[in-house]
Amino acid sequence: MSVQVRGLGHSVKRKEDPRFIRGKGTYVDDIKLPGMLYMDIVRSPYAHARILNIDASKALALPGVLAVITGKDLDAAGLAWMPTLMSDRQMVLPVDRVVYQAQEVAAIIATDRYIAADAAVLVDVEYEPLPPVVDPHKALEPDAPLVRPDRETKSNHIWHWEAGDRARTDELFQEAEVIVKQDLYIPRIHVSSIETCGCVASFDKVSGKLTVWMTTQAPHAIRTVFSLVSGIPEHKIRIISPDIGGGFGGKVPVYPGYVIATVAAIQTGRPVKWIEDRSENLQADSFARDYHITAELAAKRDGTMTALRVKTIADHGAFDAAANPSKFPAGLFSVCTGSYQLQAAHIQVDGVYTNKPPGGVAYRCSFRVTEAVHTIERMVDILADKLQMDPAELRLKNFIQPEQFPYKSATGWEYDSGNYPAALRLAMERIGYADLRREQAEKRARGELMGIGISTFTEIVGAGPSHTFDILGIKMFDSCEIRVHPTGSAIVRIGVQTQGQGHETTFAQIVAEELGLPVEQIVVEHGDTDTAPYGLGTYASRSTPTAGAATAVAARKIREKARLLAAHLLEASPDDIEWRDYKFQVKGTPSRSKTMAEVAFAAYTNHPLGMEAGLEAVCYYDPPNLTFPFGAYICVVDIDRGTGEVKIRRFLAVDDCGNIINPMIVEGQIHGGLTMGMAPALMEAITYDENGNIQQGTFMDYLLPTAMETPAWETAKTCTPSPHHPLGAKGVGESATVGAPPAIVNAVVDALSHLGVTHLDIPITPWKVYQILEQHGLVEV
Amino acid sequence: MHFEGQQTIKAPIETIWEFLMDPYRVAECAPGFQSMEVLSSEHFKPRVGVAVGPVKATFTLDVVLNDLRPPHHAAMIGHGVAAGSAVDMSSSMDLKAETETITAMTWSMNVDVSGKIASVGARLLEGTARKLTEKFFDCLRQKLEVRSTAPAT
Repeated sequence: MSVQVRGLGHSVKRKEDPRFIRGKGTYVDDIKLPGMLYMDIVRSPYAHARILNIDASKALALPGVLAVITGKDLDAAGLAWMPTLMSDRQMVLPVDRVVYQAQEVAAIIATDRYIAADAAVLVDVEYEPLPPVVDPHKALEPDAPLVRPDRETKSNHIWHWEAGDRARTDELFQEAEVIVKQDLYIPRIHVSSIETCGCVASFDKVSGKLTVWMTTQAPHAIRTVFSLVSGIPEHKIRIISPDIGGGFGGKVPVYPGYVIATVAAIQTGRPVKWIEDRSENLQADSFARDYHITAELAAKRDGTMTALRVKTIADHGAFDAAANPSKFPAGLFSVCTGSYQLQAAHIQVDGVYTNKPPGGVAYRCSFRVTEAVHTIERMVDILADKLQMDPAELRLKNFIQPEQFPYKSATGWEYDSGNYPAALRLAMERIGYADLRREQAEKRARGELMGIGISTFTEIVGAGPSHTFDILGIKMFDSCEIRVHPTGSAIVRIGVQTQGQGHETTFAQIVAEELGLPVEQIVVEHGDTDTAPYGLGTYASRSTPTAGAATAVAARKIREKARLLAAHLLEASPDDIEWRDYKFQVKGTPSRSKTMAEVAFAAYTNHPLGMEAGLEAVCYYDPPNLTFPFGAYICVVDIDRGTGEVKIRRFLAVDDCGNIINPMIVEGQIHGGLTMGMAPALMEAITYDENGNIQQGTFMDYLLPTAMETPAWETAKTCTPSPHHPLGAKGVGESATVGAPPAIVNAVVDALSHLGVTHLDIPITPWKVYQILEQHGLVEV
Repeated sequence: MHFEGQQTIKAPIETIWEFLMDPYRVAECAPGFQSMEVLSSEHFKPRVGVAVGPVKATFTLDVVLNDLRPPHHAAMIGHGVAAGSAVDMSSSMDLKAETETITAMTWSMNVDVSGKIASVGARLLEGTARKLTEKFFDCLRQKLEVRSTAPAT
């Protein structure tokens, strides 16, 4: 029976894959409507300039061009600015100045995509260049160019945020026997999903209904924002997020292109499509990271860690347009005390404007957890180096112990469950840690460079309890609605939305498990605001912790009604009916039983008097806490002394995400996450020259890993269920992205530690390593 | 980006000055020169096409000569736009007669490129700009030397 159901713990093949591997997915650019127009965008060459004049006459003269929309046009409709999800505001199109390179300046509406692109070249924009500021430290100097003169506060400082106990932390630092301090820069990176951003906006002038197919991770939140900004009643707005080719946080913000295309559709009365090209996506869409961190860790001489002090300058670009929960401008960065017992910590972050595109996107991480984990995992290694202790031993000495959960961290988070020593011990045993250390010593004696790096991270995902988490005031619950049909199949609609995570499979498995229906007979829908229940969307590994829980609870509501129906069919008291082996049985008489399919049929054909017909339920789930997945990663690197290249020889990821719904999908999430963690560690960074020109404007210069650079990942797992999640699950989509970078950096630093290297900023490019080898006369010719 | 250079030109200083004050003659040396609108003897708008790596663009430049101290010193400020790109440059040049027929020219140039050309062609930009600048001054020297020696042959 359980083989047919294939609920929790089964590697069910992904229901969505047949359409993807046959090329039959429906992405936004696949939407084609009769009479559809196309939009292209004129973008600023300058990082900072005044707009003196926009002459669109040549563009308008091109046959097929219907309109050229500028900031002045939008301003007349009160739409030149839009609110961001961070209570800032952002230009949709500029009225008089541009504040970063590649910013939208005007939009062309034409009958054909190529005519629109040709016309964009013909728009003459007269600029008066202004001095840009691209370094957030310089942006804080008193005479720095002002990025946002529209604000009341005439400064580039956006906000100051802190967490923890400053006084106690200072005390512990005064008493400390050992203090290590390090500046860490986590560079700006880009999510670079395969599908760029875009939309098709369509406005029905008769019904007054606006429908927008949009590359968004949060369709309901977008609908509400659109309604509030435009004044169109919310029931007359439908946002559809169809198949999405990767989100990774980059498709949470509202981009100006969505708004301009919508305005154009309303004005022309014809559908308007806007699809970014690759360079536009890479140059103008919101970026991640860009944290300038100074961290200090205090400890005793025996290695007992006591306190952590962190100060950070957060470069948010020209608009604070990230999508952090509103009470957390620095996201969940304060989880940077990690997996360790600390008596106190004090964390400060200052947000700063610069003449760069908006930053702060939670790139495959739960709101700044990547930065937090990088900080603590690097600092622990720096402390180990200072104390001449083995980094594994130092970690084992300071771990929060299994019996201490639920554990209140020094910055106030309540970790739900964990067993950190078990995960690290498993990783050390699997990879043969002691043997690797012996090998390293032998190689070092021969002049070969090999390093072993550890990262034992704790994630914080599943935002969140609504008492603490909201976006623009909308509480961060999530939802599920299930209808069981008379013949025992079901439709499940969820408030979260997939961008490749496999929701159509895993959510069907949850319902299969709870209702005893075969997974094939359960269809999952999401992403259409006209049909799906309200939810905050998929990011920050929140789908399983929030909507996954909602799905389990909704299914249990159905099962409870089904139990009453079963009692009616079996002519027994409901108290005597139990759910066993995926069916209802009369206690002690297994031969008298009813399947869910039989009960479902009765719900529509033979329901008892006084009971409503049908079998459906809705749940809006407000999690009591976040979940805290964790892991122990060990990376082994060899360094090529000829080229400075870092070669990952082995990488073992031991993950603990609680109970697993689909092991194959979890494995896939970890493989993808590790690759996306390796990329910023070794390859990716977005930099700007002093004029604010982006220097990685194409994939020629922005290096994404391919199969060539990706090592064969090894994985293993421990299982510590979440005590508060209905399924004991925790979420896993981002663990590997968060946990991998410090393991790799720690391995490279370990390989070079005998040369006095204690820290390297990412990305650790061959050139960076080569320079160190050259300094020490170690380059092999 | 900052570039500077020095040339020794086998031509009298006055000949060189006269040449340099003729926008049409100078334009012959501008790489990718297409056409020009002359607004005054010190203000003109040439159109030039440039290619940096994979990006090609046609710039309409607005060039103003200033600080003219004949025949020893001239400076220029230029500003140009192309689709998605912009360039701002300033340049100055000094001439010194070494002999009656030999003149030393020293020049320096600041070029700031913004937009698509800078972001897509970043790795190639400095090399291309240096090459184009050197080509321009080499061309000037060649034309001047041909010109000044022409009557003698």
